[in-house]
Amino acid sequence: MKRAGLAGVFLIAILVPFFLNQYWLHVAIISLFYVMMASSWNLIAGYTGQVSFAHAAFAGVGAYTSGMLALYGGVHPALGIIAGTLLAGVLGLGLGGLCIRMGGIYLSLTTLGFSEILRIIITNEEQWTRGTMGLQIPGVFSVYSKTHYYFLFLAVTLAFLVLMRRLLNSDTGLAFRAVLNDELAASTSGIDTVRVRLMAFTSSSAMAGLAGGLYGHYLMLITPDIPSLGQMFLVLAMAVIGGMGSFAGPIIGAIALEFLSEYIRIYGEYHLLLFGLVALVIARFAPSGMVGLWEKIWRRR
Amino acid sequence: MSEFLMFLTNGLVMGGINAISALGVSLVVGIMRVINFAHGEMYIFGGYLSYQLAVGAGIPPVLSMLCSVAAVFLGGLAIEKWLIRPTYGDEMYSLIITFILSIILQNAALLIFGPYPVKPPSLVFGATNIFGLFHYGNQRLLSLALAAGIIGAIMYLVRRTWFGKSVRAISQDREMAAMLGVDHLKVNMISFGLGCALAASAGAIIAPIFPVTPSGSGAVSLTAFVVVVLGGMGSLKGCIVGGVILGVLENLGAAYISTDYRHIFGFIILIGVLVLRPWGLFGKRI
Repeated sequence: MKRAGLAGVFLIAILVPFFLNQYWLHVAIISLFYVMMASSWNLIAGYTGQVSFAHAAFAGVGAYTSGMLALYGGVHPALGIIAGTLLAGVLGLGLGGLCIRMGGIYLSLTTLGFSEILRIIITNEEQWTRGTMGLQIPGVFSVYSKTHYYFLFLAVTLAFLVLMRRLLNSDTGLAFRAVLNDELAASTSGIDTVRVRLMAFTSSSAMAGLAGGLYGHYLMLITPDIPSLGQMFLVLAMAVIGGMGSFAGPIIGAIALEFLSEYIRIYGEYHLLLFGLVALVIARFAPSGMVGLWEKIWRRR
Repeated sequence: MSEFLMFLTNGLVMGGINAISALGVSLVVGIMRVINFAHGEMYIFGGYLSYQLAVGAGIPPVLSMLCSVAAVFLGGLAIEKWLIRPTYGDEMYSLIITFILSIILQNAALLIFGPYPVKPPSLVFGATNIFGLFHYGNQRLLSLALAAGIIGAIMYLVRRTWFGKSVRAISQDREMAAMLGVDHLKVNMISFGLGCALAASAGAIIAPIFPVTPSGSGAVSLTAFVVVVLGGMGSLKGCIVGGVILGVLENLGAAYISTDYRHIFGFIILIGVLVLRPWGLFGKRI
């Protein structure tokens, strides 16, 4: 039953480009980016209980590293994206190594700071990044085709989700949840809680770098909006509204919010306010999100 | 030399503002283990409300400052009651909720007040000659005096009053305090309101000198957080010393190194503290 459902979703995902016009195909590609972002953020926040505010910043690290390598060094985007992923992972390891042992609040504060600083650097180093004007960078394919990009994003997202699923079902995943549920009990049963959290944070940061690199080369224009706190909030809202701590939650949240934001595009600046209010109500009254609500209704029957 | 002294004095004025803003964060962290990511928005609202009341409604500047701080205090009480209280015991959810709140308030401020910086009227005018070295704006001197007065009042409140005793009891041992009959719900609510009011007073005091904008709230929050980590999480003395250190370093850095990178000095200090002395100057060593 579950397998048939997954196969159905997979089939629909493959067929999508043949039914959507260019505009909605673009929306589908962006949704896949957000699926990667929200799911990897969920890996730390939902599974180990640490709130990072640098997830969008790490996507920015990926996008700017790969974009600038391609533009100034002629490096192929495929290699550039790998470099960006590694750099985001290394920065994650450094930041996490500094503050995770001090507790969750310190990680949140430091990642918030990192994200502000990255935005300031990108905005000010205009000769390299062209500041808020945005930097034009080459695409992944020599011939531009949204269908190609869609399949690239789909392949990476699926690989990403399979990898995450495996990680969560392994002993490491068990350690993640043990750390979330009861830190003291986890550490007395021999789990190095700091190491587990650091590992989750590093891998999740690297995943954001990967997603950001792909995103940059798809848009072919990178701006300080990618590592902004507004973007960070969108990712957080997707995970919270979909359901943190569940595997499907952030995926559903990302797709739902991205498509919804296309419908409410006419309201322009209000959409952050609107998503904020929805996310606040969900976080306050249904902390396990849409997935949690659905399960509750299902069980009551 | 006199130029250097002036930058130093600027740093001291900003230091006083940093200190009261950070006191608001530290008070709440010490008692509730909650960081309010909407702290910067409270500061911005303090400045904007004071401007609106003084310029829009024509209320005398002093009264408009007091009213704006009181309004933010009441707002803080409501936020604690409806949004923070249900998250007790779950540190992660309080971080997420206050972050969402900061995005909502920031966008609401953009919508209501617009993106342009506003400057409430000054309370005093003119300048004073400081020891024959340089002329310094009276409004800035008054800001420093007000900040010092507020710091003194908070210290008195925490060290000498019944409220302060309850605050310290809860910071030290929440269960024990509850057992001995301290109403921690009430103390939490008042402390959170007070934290917001301190941010608002910092905003209202500095706005006549440095205008406030909704987009500036992130930097304000960050400055307060850096001060709290530098001084030691939960230490009130640390806020004052840390606030002045950061104010002076940022002003000298902006004057002699780079204005664009003013806020980077704070981040460098944050990283430095985490590397060298993660518990901060006056914090308890873990």
